[in-house]
Amino acid sequence: MTARLRLDAARCTGHGRCYTVAPDLLSDDEEGFVEQRGTDLPVPGPLLGQAADAESACPEMAITLLDAAPAPTTTDGEP
Amino acid sequence: MSEQIQQCPVSHTDYRSTTAPAGHYDLLDREREASRYHFSDTTERGFWMLTRYDDVLKGFQNPDTFTNDVTSALNPERGIDLLPQQLGGEEHARLRRVVNPYFSPAAVRRMEPFATARCVELIEELRPLGRCDFVAEFAIRYPTDVFLDLLGLPTSDGAFFVPWVEDVFGGIFTGDAERARSASANITDYFDARVRERRRNPLDPAVDLVSRLVQARRGADEEPLTHDEILTVCLTLTMAGLDTTRSALGYMFWHLARHDDDRATLIGDPDAVPAAVEEFIRLYPLVIQAGREVSRPVELDGLRLDAGEVVWLGIGSANRDPRKFPEPGTFRLGRKGVNQHLGFGAGPHRCLGMHLARVELAIVLREWHRRIPHYRIASDAPLVERGSQLTLMSLPLEWDA
Ligand code: HEM
Ligand code: SF4
Repeated sequence: MTARLRLDAARCTGHGRCYTVAPDLLSDDEEGFVEQRGTDLPVPGPLLGQAADAESACPEMAITLLDAAPAPTTTDGEP
Repeated sequence: MSEQIQQCPVSHTDYRSTTAPAGHYDLLDREREASRYHFSDTTERGFWMLTRYDDVLKGFQNPDTFTNDVTSALNPERGIDLLPQQLGGEEHARLRRVVNPYFSPAAVRRMEPFATARCVELIEELRPLGRCDFVAEFAIRYPTDVFLDLLGLPTSDGAFFVPWVEDVFGGIFTGDAERARSASANITDYFDARVRERRRNPLDPAVDLVSRLVQARRGADEEPLTHDEILTVCLTLTMAGLDTTRSALGYMFWHLARHDDDRATLIGDPDAVPAAVEEFIRLYPLVIQAGREVSRPVELDGLRLDAGEVVWLGIGSANRDPRKFPEPGTFRLGRKGVNQHLGFGAGPHRCLGMHLARVELAIVLREWHRRIPHYRIASDAPLVERGSQLTLMSLPLEWDA
């Protein structure tokens, strides 16, 4: 199954951390929110790392990585 | 009065007092580990302190229960208006939609060349001297100039603007209401003249914030913002943007002057700078709390709160909560989830200026270390950390010119 990145429009308040750590997946809009919010974005295999970083970078918990097995490793490999 | 379901200690720690650098974090750490909640009796109204990351985040994300009728637990009767801070709900969202575009990453990219040039200019002024008080001679001048430029105002106005800002903060944080009032009146008068000028000669509202505020409609009623509201927005931005950035710069350089390894990392790898900025904001949260007022009786895990009570959302505790951040007192690049720190708040009131602040701070880290890679703290005189909203009162640095 293709991994997807769920971007919760109601929770996103525009911290801009997701598109900073996942520039190949996400971008910023006029107000600083993530442009793709409100969608389940398909994540190509090579970008799974970025997707996982985006998930763990959002302080609003607005981002969830779905159907990504096996778990991708993030940049630093901490628990 | 709220009921203590679990045992909940009373805190007598007055976070308005000065300490040694980073001294407030020691106090916060101790309290968080002693008990999840505290009731502080250090102000007239008192306040309930939330100290753990998860609790603090929940507080930020439930603005209907925890309202911005109070924005500082230490100073619940705020005395001056703050916009957009003091609004809630749809009214707040509408004003944020008006101002957000001027502080978005895209807008910040537009001012980056100016900020870089001004930063370099100030550093080059200081470099031959071989020493400076980093706080007074750099850390407040730079963000003020950038801020004025962002508002389309002449940076030379910084010469009188900076002392006013100092007086407002000095007044608020020392309880000298009169000094704060007269300085904020000066700032308001200054903006009053600028706003009137923009009414007569509007600039392109796509890039000029003041022109946009003049034209903005509040919402369904199509009413423009009142003149006073526009002035309040300008004053709020001044209050929220300058003391904070100065403070963040002070902590970064206090840290780097004493940690050669971290400095070497930034000198050797300028690409690490954005991550370093984020980690500095986590490690040295200068806004240690946001206040909120409870709008309806609510039960948190083990704590019942009544309507009208004041809550302390402990940013300074949350950012150093070991349940969230392993080895929380250590500066570490590449932390997983470091970006989830709450140094800029969260929820609908998350810091409007965060993108600007990040870029400003990153520029300084790059440009300073390119020119003055090695420096040290110049005097043995003890450094002082102001309470309330933290900042180092001075930071004497020296280097080989
Ligand atoms: C390192 C620098 C900064 C830090 C640590 C910081 C921190 C914060 C925090 C924690 C909040 C949330 C307060 C709350 O929820 O009650 C906040 C809100 C705010 N900040 Fe910042 N800030 C910084 C720089 C700036 C700058 C440069 C500006 C603008 C020029 C700014 C403008 C604002 C405004 C207007 C709000 C209120 C937003 C609202 O209520 O909707 N800040 N800031
Ligand atoms: S990090 Fe979270 S809150 Fe920030 S823009 Fe991305 S999704 Fe929105």
